[in-house]
Amino acid sequence: MSSLGGAPWYILEFGDELVYFTPYTTTLLILALVFTVLALVSRPERQVEALFGTDAIYAKDTTVDQMRFRRFMAIACGCASMGAVVTGDLFNFTLFVALVGITNVGIVAAVKNRHVQNAAFQYGLVALTATVPLFAGAGIVAATTGTLSIVALASGTVPQAPFFARALLCLGVVGEGMAPFYAAKAEMFRAPGAPYVIMCSLSSLLIFLRVAEVVMVI
Amino acid sequence: MIIRRISDVLSNYENILPLFAGGCAIVFLIGVLLLPLPYYDDQLYPKTIDRNSSLDPYDRGGPPFTQVVIKSQYPENSPTAGYVTTYLTPFSWFLANTTHHLGTTIVAHPGGIIDEILYNTRGLDTVVEPTILFIAFAIASFLFRREP
Amino acid sequence: MIWQEYSVGLLVVLACGIVAFVALLLEWDDLHRLLLIDLVEIPSLGVIALLGTDLAEALILPGLVVGIAELLALSQIYLHKEGIADRKVSGLNIEVISKADAPVIISVILIVYGIVLSGFTGGGIAGLGIVFFFMARGAKEHFSLLEMASGVSWALWIAAFFVFMVLPQYWFLALMGAAIGILLKVTVKMALVGMMWGRPDE
Repeated sequence: MSSLGGAPWYILEFGDELVYFTPYTTTLLILALVFTVLALVSRPERQVEALFGTDAIYAKDTTVDQMRFRRFMAIACGCASMGAVVTGDLFNFTLFVALVGITNVGIVAAVKNRHVQNAAFQYGLVALTATVPLFAGAGIVAATTGTLSIVALASGTVPQAPFFARALLCLGVVGEGMAPFYAAKAEMFRAPGAPYVIMCSLSSLLIFLRVAEVVMVI
Repeated sequence: MIIRRISDVLSNYENILPLFAGGCAIVFLIGVLLLPLPYYDDQLYPKTIDRNSSLDPYDRGGPPFTQVVIKSQYPENSPTAGYVTTYLTPFSWFLANTTHHLGTTIVAHPGGIIDEILYNTRGLDTVVEPTILFIAFAIASFLFRREP
Repeated sequence: MIWQEYSVGLLVVLACGIVAFVALLLEWDDLHRLLLIDLVEIPSLGVIALLGTDLAEALILPGLVVGIAELLALSQIYLHKEGIADRKVSGLNIEVISKADAPVIISVILIVYGIVLSGFTGGGIAGLGIVFFFMARGAKEHFSLLEMASGVSWALWIAAFFVFMVLPQYWFLALMGAAIGILLKVTVKMALVGMMWGRPDE
C-alpha cells in the first residue's frame, strides 16, 4: 500500500469503487479545488483589441449567457478533475478523464469565433478518439489481472498489468488533455474570459500527474 | 531548429488529429507484437449460462426477493448486493413463468445482474456516465439555442 | 506461451483498430473524420467485450454512452463552425402525416410500450415515439421543459446512487429510482435530439 504515493489517510467506499486520499492525491485535489473556487468567484476578463496602425480600439463583447455557460463548464471541469485525481478505480478514472475532455471542449466551443470553434472541433475529435485507448487499456487490465481496483493492483496480490495496457492509458490521457499543445496557439487565447481557459490547461496538468501515479503502481 | 519545425506543425490544429491517430496506430501495432497476453481466469462477476432457464441467457439465480452470492471486488461494502440481481417486475415475472422466450428483453426491465453492477456495486461509474451525457447535451443545446 | 482465445480475439480487434486509425490518419475532410471516429469507437468496445464476464456488459454501456454523447456535441459544433446551423429544415411535409390522427396513435403506442419495457431500451422506444410525433407535427415549443425533465432525471439517478451507498437496506427504492431515472433520461434526450432540427423559434 505504501506504493500508492504514500499511505492513504482515508478511504471512502462506494461499493466496488474506492476513493482514496493519499498525500499525493490530496495535494492534487486541493489544487483542483482552489482553482474551481477561483473560477467560481472571479469575474471574466474583458478583452480589448487595438487595430494596428490606427487609433481604433474596441472591446469584445461577452454576453451574459455565454459567460454563465463557460463558468458552468469550468466548474464542471474542476469537479471532473477532482474526481479523476482521487478515484481508486481504473475504469472510473477513464470515465472522469473523458469528462474532463468534454468539458474542455465545452469551455472553448461556447465562444462565437470561427477560429476558436475550428480549434474546439479539432480538439473535440482528438478527445473522442482518445476514449478508444482509454477504454481499451482499462479492458485489458481487467482481463489480464482480474480486477480494476487500483488499491488491489498496487497490493501485489494480482499479476502486474501488462506494459501495453499502461501505454494505452498514457496515450488516452495525452489525447484528452490535449490542451498543452494549444498553449502555443493564438486562436485559443483569442477567446475572451481568462479564468476559464486556464481551467483547460490546469485540468490536463492534473490528469497527467495522476496517470503518472496510476501507471507506476498498477 | 527542429523544435521550431515541430511546433510549427503542432500549431496547425488540422494536424493534431492525424498525429494522434498515427500515434494510436503505432501503439496498437506494438500491442499486436506483444501478444499473446495471458487471460486471468479468476475474474469478477463470472458469466454462467443456463440454457434450460426461461430467462436464458440472463438467469438471475433465484426467485425475487432472495439474495444470491455475487463475486464482487469488496463484498463487505455492498451488504445488500444480490437482491437487485434476483428482482423481477411483476410483469416480467409473469412473462418468465409463461414463456421461454423472454430472452434478452429482460435486460430492459429493472433488476438483474447488469443493474446490480451498474447501480449498486459500481454505482460511481454510472454517476459519471450520465454526467458526461448531461454535459454533452448542455453544449449541444447551448449552441442550438444561440442565435447563429 | 499458448495462444488462448483471448489473445486471438485481441489480435483481431487490434487489427481492426489499426485499420480504423490509419483511415483517420489519411482523411482530411471534417465530416468524414467525425463519421470515421464513430467507427474507431467499435474496437474499444470490442476490447472490453473480450473480457467475457457480466462485468464486461456493464462496462460497455458507459463506453457506448460516452461515444454517443461526445458525437452529439461535436456535430452541433460542426454545424456552427460551418455556418449551416440556420438552414431551414421543416418536418415531414406529408399531408397524411401532418393532418391525420395516425402519428398520434403510433406515438402513444410507442410511448406506452416503452414505459412497460422501462430501463434503457424502454427509454429508447418511448423517445422514438416522441421524435416521430415532433417530426410529424413540427412542434418545438416545449424545448426548455424537456431540458428541465432531463435535469430532474439526472438528479433522480444521483439520489438513487446515494441510497445504494448510504442506506443499502432500501435497495428496492433505489432500484426503482434509477430505473425511472434512466427511462426519463433516455426518453427526454432522444426527444431533444429529434427537436434539434433547423432553427428553434419557428
